[in-house]
Amino acid sequence: MTLRSSAIGLALLIAGAAQAEEFKWASTTDPQTMDPHAVNSAPVLGFLNNVYEGLVRRGKDMRVEPALAVSWEPIGDGDGWRFNLREGVTFHDGSEFNAQDVLFSYERASGEAADTRSWFAPVSAVNVVDDYTVDFMMTAPNPLFPSSIANWMIMDQGWAEANEAAVPDKETGNFATLNANGTGAFQVTAREPGLRTVLEPFDGWWDTAEHNISSAEFTPIQNPATAVAALLSGDVGMINPVPIQDVSRLQGSDDVEVIQGIEARVIMLGFNHEADALKYTDDAGKPNPFQDARVRQAIAQAVNVDAILATIMRGNAEAASQLVSPAMSGYSRAHADRPTYDVEAAKALLAEAGYGDGFSFGLKCPNDRYLNDEAVCQAVVSMLAQIGITAELDAMPVRNYWPELREDNYDMYLLGWSPGTFDAEHPVRFLVATPNEEKKLGSWNFGGFSNARVDELLPMIQSELDADKRQAMLDEVTGIIQDEHVYVPMYVQPLVWGTRSNVDLTQRPDNFFLLRWVTIN
Amino acid sequence: MTDATQTPQSTPKTRFAKFWDSDFAWSFRHSPVAVIASLVVVVLVLAAIFAPLIAPYNPFDPATLNLMNGFTPPGTPNAFTQETFLLGTDDQGRDVFSTILYGLRISLFVGTAAVLLAMIIGVILGLVAAYFGGWIETFIMRVADVQLTFPAILVAMLIFGIAKGVTPPEYRNEMAIYVLIIAIALSDWVQFARVVRGAALVEKNKEYVQAARLIGRGSFPIMFRHILPNVLSPVLVIATISLALAIIAEATLSFLGVGAPPTQPSLGTLIRIGQGFLFSGEWWILFFPACTLLALALSVNLLGDWLRDALNPKLR
Amino acid sequence: MFAYIVRRMFQSVIVLLVVGLVAFSMFRFVGDPIDNMLGQERTQADIDRLRTELGLDQPFVVQYAKFLRGAVQGNFGVSYRQGRPVSTIIAERAPATLELAFVSGFLAITMGIALGVFTAIRRQGIAANVIMTVSLIGVSLPTFLIGILLIYVFSVELDLLPSFGRGETVMIGNWSTGFLTASGLKALILPAITLGLYQMTLIMRLVRSEMLEVLRADYVRFARARGLSDRVINFRHALKNTLVPVITITGLQLGSIIAFAIITETVFQWPGVGLLFINAIQFVDIPVMAAYLMLISVMFVTINLIVDLLYYAIDPRLRVDARAT
Repeated sequence: MTLRSSAIGLALLIAGAAQAEEFKWASTTDPQTMDPHAVNSAPVLGFLNNVYEGLVRRGKDMRVEPALAVSWEPIGDGDGWRFNLREGVTFHDGSEFNAQDVLFSYERASGEAADTRSWFAPVSAVNVVDDYTVDFMMTAPNPLFPSSIANWMIMDQGWAEANEAAVPDKETGNFATLNANGTGAFQVTAREPGLRTVLEPFDGWWDTAEHNISSAEFTPIQNPATAVAALLSGDVGMINPVPIQDVSRLQGSDDVEVIQGIEARVIMLGFNHEADALKYTDDAGKPNPFQDARVRQAIAQAVNVDAILATIMRGNAEAASQLVSPAMSGYSRAHADRPTYDVEAAKALLAEAGYGDGFSFGLKCPNDRYLNDEAVCQAVVSMLAQIGITAELDAMPVRNYWPELREDNYDMYLLGWSPGTFDAEHPVRFLVATPNEEKKLGSWNFGGFSNARVDELLPMIQSELDADKRQAMLDEVTGIIQDEHVYVPMYVQPLVWGTRSNVDLTQRPDNFFLLRWVTIN
Repeated sequence: MTDATQTPQSTPKTRFAKFWDSDFAWSFRHSPVAVIASLVVVVLVLAAIFAPLIAPYNPFDPATLNLMNGFTPPGTPNAFTQETFLLGTDDQGRDVFSTILYGLRISLFVGTAAVLLAMIIGVILGLVAAYFGGWIETFIMRVADVQLTFPAILVAMLIFGIAKGVTPPEYRNEMAIYVLIIAIALSDWVQFARVVRGAALVEKNKEYVQAARLIGRGSFPIMFRHILPNVLSPVLVIATISLALAIIAEATLSFLGVGAPPTQPSLGTLIRIGQGFLFSGEWWILFFPACTLLALALSVNLLGDWLRDALNPKLR
Repeated sequence: MFAYIVRRMFQSVIVLLVVGLVAFSMFRFVGDPIDNMLGQERTQADIDRLRTELGLDQPFVVQYAKFLRGAVQGNFGVSYRQGRPVSTIIAERAPATLELAFVSGFLAITMGIALGVFTAIRRQGIAANVIMTVSLIGVSLPTFLIGILLIYVFSVELDLLPSFGRGETVMIGNWSTGFLTASGLKALILPAITLGLYQMTLIMRLVRSEMLEVLRADYVRFARARGLSDRVINFRHALKNTLVPVITITGLQLGSIIAFAIITETVFQWPGVGLLFINAIQFVDIPVMAAYLMLISVMFVTINLIVDLLYYAIDPRLRVDARAT
């Protein structure tokens, strides 16, 4: 998704006269490690995509393209995938890239201590065929495997072993926590955790550089107002995110520009499906109304998403009808409509379910996780008050929030979900499938929703090779989720970045900021 | 007042007249700053007490809010709903004027209650420490050291965390305000205890206390009937300044995310929310609550200042 | 005297132990570090395994004992967030906080004393009253708001000063200093004012009231009667006698400057230990929180101890008192 096609930047590049520039940028979170296998979180993976590379990578439009593998093809009838590796690639320290590094990185990233283990759940074995050919064998046909490992980054075996970092170490850290040695366009030249990280272009990169950066410095700035001030005063060239409310102010300035897009993350309300009784307010102990699909539908119809988008989100977000945004693969076009906002219909549904006099319950909400999360929850409270139900809002920092959800301390809650695979199967696996520790299913299905048909369809979706048949099954699952109102999807969170006017860059829907697409004029 | 002016001859003078003629009152009448500051405080306190009668809306009732009223500038009709608000609305469509009045209530309540609690704890412990001495004194003053060790904000954050952990989930929201009070009070009692102990140590060795002891009065009557009244004026000064500090501490806690719940905002919560709109042009969401807080804290501080000078016998 | 010092130090050690114990028992209410250390696709088994590895499944007394054993040897454990020894991280961050505290403390003391003397001498003057009132505005608004307002005026609107960070720093041995570069000095201005404002007001008021008392004391009246000039009286006699309580209070305040730095550092993204601590809370980085609290405790207890010993040395009555108890 190139938001500003940079004609000037391109012209400069063709002329080969682009001035090398220093660049500074800021974001709210510091990547907590330089180890690509230790923590599976967006700030870490997004940052390290500048330094490390995988067999495949995602382009400006999120499409999977060759990186360290030049091509790949299925083996047999869904037995696995063969990757043909790129020759002549070197790591930042000068050592050569080959199949041994791929095998080593597989073992490193799929081991006990790695946080990226779940990516390799479908892999039964990895075989090195020759120096530049590797086979990944699957337990079941897996059409999505190549695109599911776009963030799996290859580390040099020799470097890791020489520095005693052959296994990622989250608890005490090791050499790879602070240092990096990838094949990517940039190398880490200074790393002060929590303060700044300096990257410089890697001269021996195999691909052609599109950027004109001579050095890039990243600083985490937590307070959003400070970040906006830093951008406005020119102390940094790019910030992510821009607080929604500051968008119009920044747009009005000649010195800065706002780049907007739709993130992959869908913000939704969740329910406690399993609990027989309410847990909060004066109604605690009374039967749980949210077990009734009509009550859940009433909530869906009582929340005026358009008003939230118009005021709190200031027109910078889009309403969501399902658990993924239209930009994701497997999105169900057959179910693109969301429940209409209709207070009377919602009241009627409540009456039908036997709650005509309303009830009260506890709503849990994070206040530092999603854009304007607390304000959105507050708005939901006042909208639910219009249909006669009283929500008691408890907003808290995310460090307290997840434990609360895990311990089932909620009647209703707010959740945002970004599908790591950019596919509609992902939220079904994590949010809707009946929780099953052994099969690693439903690990974020806090409410314990369970539907036999969904559980039956999920493995079939995962192994279906035919795109149409797969979509038909995803449509069916989406239909069930909508009819049951398992969640109330509200909107797709916007991506809002701010840049100085002389900076051209590309914003990807996964919120990854890649320096190799930055030009400074 | 009429009593005092119309019957000057009548003996004995009323209590009020005596007070009016005292040095203390004289100093008050002749300090324009003190008069203005106390007027501001009185007006704000009355506004807070009678908020439900003055405020055009009840911002704590979610059913009355219309999100589409959000971000209405002061005195200008809203683009969608055509409604007009004196001081505009915030991001939730709440009338800023009404929200300030209700927020003032919470801030004043939290501040006053926290200072009272801190004062009670501090005065009692300070007196006990000074009067009994020995290991009791050592223990109390070491506890005070521990307390001083922790930055006040941190103490409050930790207490807030614990209270959230131990209260049954269904009461947590109601508890938030009281937890805030206890948290601020517990981070504030030390200075009362230190001052009272210091003053009481001096008083303790004076003749009147020795005399009271000789005639066999018990420890507690001596402490509270004899020593306490004589150490009250520094306590009063500290209490006034602590009130301003407590109100600001509440705002700071809000900034760190552990303040009053957003559905029932205090002035501090309003400022925390408002500072997010500083750059975006919706200045009124920050400006009016901040001005109210400034007016309140400044007036209380000025009163405390004047009180310190007025009660200091060496400055007369 | 010796026995008193020994007893006092013994008490201080107990204070430190209690601080640690209280802090440790509180940590589990701050939140759960596990969620921040694992990604979205973690399973319950991963959670349990990590919890066991970190020793979080043990009772807090056991965790505390483990922490103490390390702390005595100068080993504060490894940060959950950064995967590096806490002592290294704190040593890296301390210069930023100490330099900021030094500059704002210096500002607070010099400005506080100067303005305090001025307002005391010109007690009834208009300028003095204006200064007294205006200085109160500084303590009548929350620190974070003052910081944000300063940023708004001086870096966004006027574009004079940087909005965040320390600017360029120079390494002298293990100490990173911002004093030697122009950008480092510019970056210090706004945070130092924000942090020092409260202390300045406090010192100014203290100096003023002490001065007022001293100026009425008999010996000053005698001095005046002897025909000494106002200048000599004000500065040679009055100010000198004012300074003893001022220095005591200032000493105690130095500790709270470092504690207060938490807010200022958050607003200005100042890379010191205060910001480190706030980040540690957000991340539930228990080793960092514990080490920070212990260090702050050591600092306060030491200051307290010194102040008490000074009093003991100065005031003979306390000596009698100490023997009696």
